[in-house]
Amino acid sequence: MEQTVHQQLTAFIVEHQEDFYRLAYSHVKNRDAALDVVQESIVKALSKADGLRRSESLKPWFYRILVNESMNYYRYTRRLTPLEEAPETAAPAGDHATRLDLYAAIDRLDQKEQLIIRLRFFEDMKLEEIAQVTGVNLNTVKSRLYKALRKLRDLTGEEHLYD
Amino acid sequence: MTDSWNKAREAYRHTPIPEELAFAVASAVRSGSRRRRRLQAARRGLTGLLAGCACFVLLVNASPTFAQAVSAVPVLGELARVVTVTEYTLDSREQLIDVRMPALELPENTDLEQRINTEIRARIDQVLQQAEERAREARDAYVETGGSAEDFIPVVIDVDYEIKCQNGQYLSFLLTETETRAAAYTEIYAYNIDLEAGRELTLRDVLGSDYLELANEAVRAGIARREAEDPDASFFHDEFGFTSISEDQLFYLNENGEPVVVFEKYAIAPGYMGMPEFTIALPAE
Repeated sequence: MEQTVHQQLTAFIVEHQEDFYRLAYSHVKNRDAALDVVQESIVKALSKADGLRRSESLKPWFYRILVNESMNYYRYTRRLTPLEEAPETAAPAGDHATRLDLYAAIDRLDQKEQLIIRLRFFEDMKLEEIAQVTGVNLNTVKSRLYKALRKLRDLTGEEHLYD
Repeated sequence: MTDSWNKAREAYRHTPIPEELAFAVASAVRSGSRRRRRLQAARRGLTGLLAGCACFVLLVNASPTFAQAVSAVPVLGELARVVTVTEYTLDSREQLIDVRMPALELPENTDLEQRINTEIRARIDQVLQQAEERAREARDAYVETGGSAEDFIPVVIDVDYEIKCQNGQYLSFLLTETETRAAAYTEIYAYNIDLEAGRELTLRDVLGSDYLELANEAVRAGIARREAEDPDASFFHDEFGFTSISEDQLFYLNENGEPVVVFEKYAIAPGYMGMPEFTIALPAE
């Protein structure tokens, strides 16, 4: 039985490796760092695979590890300043002269908001799953998501980002 | 979903995927599975120990004859154990270090206990010091060749131990040091202790005077079997191949008390084979 959970997890990892890399890269913004994060997450996940209950869904469980590793990467290496501490890069809200492309605008959000946006719109996760991945409750996810969407609307000038 | 989202999603999908990803994932899957087996083994070891204790207590209480019988047996293995004395994490520009330092508790033989523990401590200190030097050199080289010190990825060092065999008679554990830079490199030290005799074990002690032939035969057979069973397995067969175990051959005892010889990476097989291990069956008494 353990065998099958472990096999399932391995299959899941191999199948979705590019998704993991993209998400890791979107946070660490460095190719080697993203590879490190993906590798470390896989090693952690597999060595903890026995703690994974059969009924539990693999995706949020694995993404939680991946997200923690991505976030920890800053803490360990200080190779990049997290965006939330670099206010000079953030476009002044409501500056209508510099409209941003939506994709570029996401990078201007703070780390937690970026993550929620990517999980929701690029990884197609349900809000409940995002709550599991980020380890906060559903209402917090919702309020962060709406706050992030409002910021994106200001940054891009687009009204209908979320219908 | 609006067009903007579709475009953003498209841009995200086009994040370039490095060629090495598949390889990186495969090697992580391998080492993850290995670490998991190790954890499982450690857990099994612990349950065995607990079950043993529970049984013991129960029997002593249940039968006065048994209690008498037990008191006649020298209680050897029950008290010897390996404990974690220090566990720490260091985190600097050059390196990230995780250490779980084991120590032996051997109430019947404090001399041996002290000797082994001093050795473990000295070895870990030495390993860390060397690793630190290497990390600093690597960083200097990186900076000299034009890299920025900020971008240097620290060397990750992991010192850990693993109990392989613990019974009334023997205690066998491995100390491992893994250093990860571009690739991971692991060094293993083994401690095999004969609790009754109060000294470290040799292969001769376990296998008898024919130990060399027995071990060499087992390794040769093991190589042949592995190559026959697994098309991906390969060992060197030219002058780099296996000829004989060495004087100070690295080995540990498995849970059945059988010696398992371990070869360094690249010693007898290509690097992807990792550190090959071969179990040697005990000669029939």
